[in-house]
Amino acid sequence: MNVIEATRLAVESIWANRLRSFLTLLGVIIGIASIVSTAAVIQGLNKYVEEKLSDLGQGVFTVQRFGIITNRQDFLDAIRRNRRLRREDAHAIRDRCSSAKTVAWQVRSTADLKRRGNELLGVEVSGVTPAILEIEPFDVADGRILLPFEDERAVPVAFIGNDVAEQLFAGVDPIGKELRIKGTPVRVVGVAEKKGAFMGFSQDNFVKIPYSLHRKLYGTTRSLRISVQTADSSNMDYTMDEVRAVLRARHHLRPGQEDDFDILTSEGINNLWKSMTQTIFSIALFVVGISLVVGGVVIMNIMLVSVIERTREIGVRKAVGARQRDIVQQFLIEAVLLSCIGGAIGIAIAFGAAELLATYTPLPAQFPAWAPWVAFLVCTSIGVFFGIHPAKRAARLDPIEALRTE
Amino acid sequence: MTEPVIRTKGLTRSFSMGQTIVRALRGIDLTIERGEYVAIMGPSGSGKSTLMNLIGCLDTPTEGEYELNGTSVAKLPEHELARIRNKDIGFVFQSFNLLARATALRNVELPLIYGGIKPRDRKERAAVALREVDLEDRMDHRPNQLSGGQMQRVSIARALVTRPALLLADEPTGNLDSTTSKEIMALFQRLSEAGNTIIVVTHEREIADHAQRIVTIRDGVVASDGPNTVATTETSAT
Ligand SMILES: Nc1ncnc2c1ncn2[C@@H]1O[C@H](COP(=O)(O)OP(=O)(O)O)[C@@H](O)[C@H]1O
Ligand SMILES: [Mg+2]
Repeated sequence: MNVIEATRLAVESIWANRLRSFLTLLGVIIGIASIVSTAAVIQGLNKYVEEKLSDLGQGVFTVQRFGIITNRQDFLDAIRRNRRLRREDAHAIRDRCSSAKTVAWQVRSTADLKRRGNELLGVEVSGVTPAILEIEPFDVADGRILLPFEDERAVPVAFIGNDVAEQLFAGVDPIGKELRIKGTPVRVVGVAEKKGAFMGFSQDNFVKIPYSLHRKLYGTTRSLRISVQTADSSNMDYTMDEVRAVLRARHHLRPGQEDDFDILTSEGINNLWKSMTQTIFSIALFVVGISLVVGGVVIMNIMLVSVIERTREIGVRKAVGARQRDIVQQFLIEAVLLSCIGGAIGIAIAFGAAELLATYTPLPAQFPAWAPWVAFLVCTSIGVFFGIHPAKRAARLDPIEALRTE
Repeated sequence: MTEPVIRTKGLTRSFSMGQTIVRALRGIDLTIERGEYVAIMGPSGSGKSTLMNLIGCLDTPTEGEYELNGTSVAKLPEHELARIRNKDIGFVFQSFNLLARATALRNVELPLIYGGIKPRDRKERAAVALREVDLEDRMDHRPNQLSGGQMQRVSIARALVTRPALLLADEPTGNLDSTTSKEIMALFQRLSEAGNTIIVVTHEREIADHAQRIVTIRDGVVASDGPNTVATTETSAT
């Protein structure tokens, strides 16, 4: 008997017991659907992170008081060890690192903004040196970005995000208008292009003012984040060494003492992110693996029941010339088909879930193109692995005894 | 004459039931020539079905020789036996043994599927076989839409469809009423006249009387073997 014929038999048999078949498949369906949905969410996040990091541009790294800290002990150590980065640190890097092309810095705080009785709470207000806009470019929707002399003279001007423009200046052109930060009137000179939300957080809820103005309003207690762009992006390590040497000298660190600051590259962030999502995915894979094994056992069980129910049919088939391998093939194909139908339903659910998540939730889910193929392979393996035992049992039935059963 | 279809020598089949051993056949010597129509008779439990299962290659003997068309089949591997069941033997059962979910046509196609015949040829040949048993208008019926006699005719068509050298029937009328039984026996008669080699197991004299030769089995051995005088007169009478 050929495969087409055996497949036809399998379809007939599955269809004849469709409710039971469907219930049998729940384990596989849930397993495949959940792992693919997880993969969709992770893939979506990865894509977002990659886009975000590529915004940073080539050959750029940042120096900050704390890097990305993933455990409590590191956090406690860093708090004890690391010092605040000050304007003098930034100046030293700018003046003494010959391989750095651009050095810019910023400092962040949050503020409640006011304009003519309108109030916008918890807006991110950062003081930036205008050069930062060369390193982390902002698309300007209206007006212009901050200018160097505005930082030099602490001119009260602001470059604002789209949310701020829409909510504080509803219906009017914000350019040239004033808003108040900590009671100080600040004039809007530019509005950024809308970026949208990520994970439910708006990326347009910000105000950028000159660093010197921020210093006047908020003082000097905050640590700087210093961005460095190298002249030669292929030689970033050299520049990082230079920066490290300058800061260590300024902070009077002895040889062998750890750095009291942290250097972050987009590559480093990306690697960290990847290793994090990989951990999440491995855990999901483990949990789903269990559900797939359970699904496989259920398939095996139902196939064993099916063999018992169809003992007489098997006897008839053998009596008219079916070989053992024909019977094995028939039941194996049925098990594989069953499991693949489960996989296909799971994939369909995951596809729908990814679309729904992407549309109705802040999660940027993206259905992975490899999922159907991997699911097909996994389900085929499950079908073979858990189907072989029932199939062999069927094939080994003695024809006479099989024909004698009721 | 050419070589016999069946030749057995000292054919023995024992079943071990825990401690005791049931000796169902205790040395059967039997030769059946091509074209013969043989009835096997004997009381219940005498070993008729056991013998038929051995002849039909559904079972293998404990001891003894069995040659089918001149080749020894007693010690053949499983897939060879399957091939013989498929190509050389047509088996008709008392309880029909049709697949309940399949149509008459599909049931008759079954041996051809395992014989590796292409779908189109398969359908054609199955339809021809069904016509031979006068069921061409019932091809799309499932077993539960057919009468007992019709079901048995479907199973005869299934047995015939591969054009086997040998047609075996173990109490083919056991589940049928007497009128239907007569129809079935008339069909066997016709098949015999068309040249088929037929062995029918029965414990009814009336049924056996259709055959040319009657073999009686008692306690697993051949008790008598000889031509059937009634059959010749009946055949000449019709
Ligand atoms: N699979 C089996 N296991 C044990 N005993 C069997 C088996 N098949 C047949 N027998 C025994 O062999 C003897 C002959 O059985 P069988 O060939 O079915 O008789 P018949 O068909 O003539 O009525 C009986 O005593 C029966 O109980
Ligand atoms: Mg019997």
